[in-house]
Amino acid sequence: MRIHSIFVKSLAFAHRDFINEVSYKFAFFMQIFGIFISTIMFFFLSKLLGDVGTSYLEPYGGNYFAFVLIGIAFFSYFNVSMEGLSKSIREGQMLGTLEAMLVTQTEIPTIIFSSVMYNFLFASFKVIIYLLLGVFLFGVDVGNANLPGAFIILLLTIISFNSFGIISASFVMVLKKGDPVSKLFSNLSGIIGGLYYPISVLPAWLQKFSYVLPITYSLEGMRLAILQGYSLEALLPNIIALLIFSVIMLPLSVFIFSYAVKRAKIDGTLTQY
Amino acid sequence: MTYCIETFNLTKKYPIIRNYRDLLLHPLQKKESTALCDVNLRIKKGELFGLLGSNGAGKTTLIKIFCTMVLPTSGITRINGLDVLHNGKKIKKIIGYVICDERSFYWRLTGRQNLKFFAKLNNVPRSVMETKINDLLSFMDLSHEADRMFKDYSTGTRKKLAIARGLLTNPDILFMDEPTNALDPITAQKIRIFIREKLVNEMKKTVVFATHNLHEAEELCDRIAFIHRGKVKITGTVEEIKRMVRAEKHYVVELKKPETALLKKIFAFPLVKEIISISDLTETNTVEIEINTKNGSESIFHIIKHIIDIGGNVCSFYQKELSLANLFSRIIDKDLN
Repeated sequence: MRIHSIFVKSLAFAHRDFINEVSYKFAFFMQIFGIFISTIMFFFLSKLLGDVGTSYLEPYGGNYFAFVLIGIAFFSYFNVSMEGLSKSIREGQMLGTLEAMLVTQTEIPTIIFSSVMYNFLFASFKVIIYLLLGVFLFGVDVGNANLPGAFIILLLTIISFNSFGIISASFVMVLKKGDPVSKLFSNLSGIIGGLYYPISVLPAWLQKFSYVLPITYSLEGMRLAILQGYSLEALLPNIIALLIFSVIMLPLSVFIFSYAVKRAKIDGTLTQY
Repeated sequence: MTYCIETFNLTKKYPIIRNYRDLLLHPLQKKESTALCDVNLRIKKGELFGLLGSNGAGKTTLIKIFCTMVLPTSGITRINGLDVLHNGKKIKKIIGYVICDERSFYWRLTGRQNLKFFAKLNNVPRSVMETKINDLLSFMDLSHEADRMFKDYSTGTRKKLAIARGLLTNPDILFMDEPTNALDPITAQKIRIFIREKLVNEMKKTVVFATHNLHEAEELCDRIAFIHRGKVKITGTVEEIKRMVRAEKHYVVELKKPETALLKKIFAFPLVKEIISISDLTETNTVEIEINTKNGSESIFHIIKHIIDIGGNVCSFYQKELSLANLFSRIIDKDLN
């Protein structure tokens, strides 16, 4: 019953955001158009690179375009988790809609998670478009893809990324602006998380830092599952790493968030910005 | 007597945001401002209760505590016997908060879509949702505008939709924060009539209504609490408060411009309880002194005699009819002094 209620509410949020987004017709069109632009851009970039760096890309099949395509496609989930949650709170505070939602019978965690439901669905839509473009227009080979493995990695990715997103949202709840978590993690993950290049190109000392970021395991696991078709057993190190992140970070983030809500209620700043 | 809302010594203090200099000099010091101080209120079931006060008096803070949006610093607050500190979920099921701020809606969604979204958040069952929304829209006379975007609504229509949203769960208690604010007099009057006749008389709701408009509170509310600087100054029915006002006898004495020494002697006279005001009338070269007497009308003749005895030249005097506005502004003035 409770899960059904959460599901209904999440869909209501997604429906609300969809109506809102499509009402800005040009902006909506540009969002879709952007997917094509970035795919084409990385395709020509991969042509330019040719065989340069093939040794680094060998574990992922040796094709830079396929490598970066998976990277940018699944990085959307990272962005939604890291920035979407805090952004939805900030927007609600600034627009004035947060207060109206908080007096309803929906609990705060449901409001927060549901607020990014549309973004997650849109990110999934983008991933599908990226993959379809890659496969049908640019010849990316996903014939061996281990889809169940990729799904498990995706699920753990969302949970572990969201944990950091919740901590980031907690900062917004109390400090309103300038949360250090999302900025720090977004920048670090972009640079050393293996988004545009494999982490093996980084100096050895910097690679050590890559391994404390969940995105490293997430992108690597996803590439190995989709491009190389690794079995669940072979994907186990990435799955375990993401599981550890999820088990530690999720309860911690929920605790921090509950504290932040209480703090904001004491300060009377729940809906201020 | 059944009270559905009770507060006992309710106090709310907000931390003050300090500047950089203050933070550097006193990093551990805490500064607070008191929004509510020892508020004791009892609101009866089915009554239309007005929270009256100027801007910043503490009305919104009080409503937000009732709605579990703000936690009190100390004291007890109960809604239908449930403590707001520990029963947030249960309380939200029995209350409705009419947020009249138009920013609390989604502007690019229609009125119906907005109501549907908030109905889902309020666990309104799917089977009755459509009927309920249609009923509310027709109840609020909004059916013909329901499928237009919220951004295209007039201010009055937006307020009506806010009331409809507050009624989605058919709550026993409704909190309204200045629902007629920024409305033209005719629409404001329509909403007032709706609140009194439909919500309170017909639907038997308990309505707590925050306003800074004295006439609105006087016309609409069964009982009023006048709040100033976080403190409840007076509580009672409009009649009770008016009786308190009538009990005070104010007289205006006009006399030829007196010397300061003479004025001091008048102020010091034992039957003068309080000097309310002194106005200089330059055209007639006189002054008008508003006096609150100790024993009502009996004293005024002694006071007049005393003024004449000490050399004052009394031109006229009359009893001043006090209004609620006079009383409230006196409370505010006393606080300022």
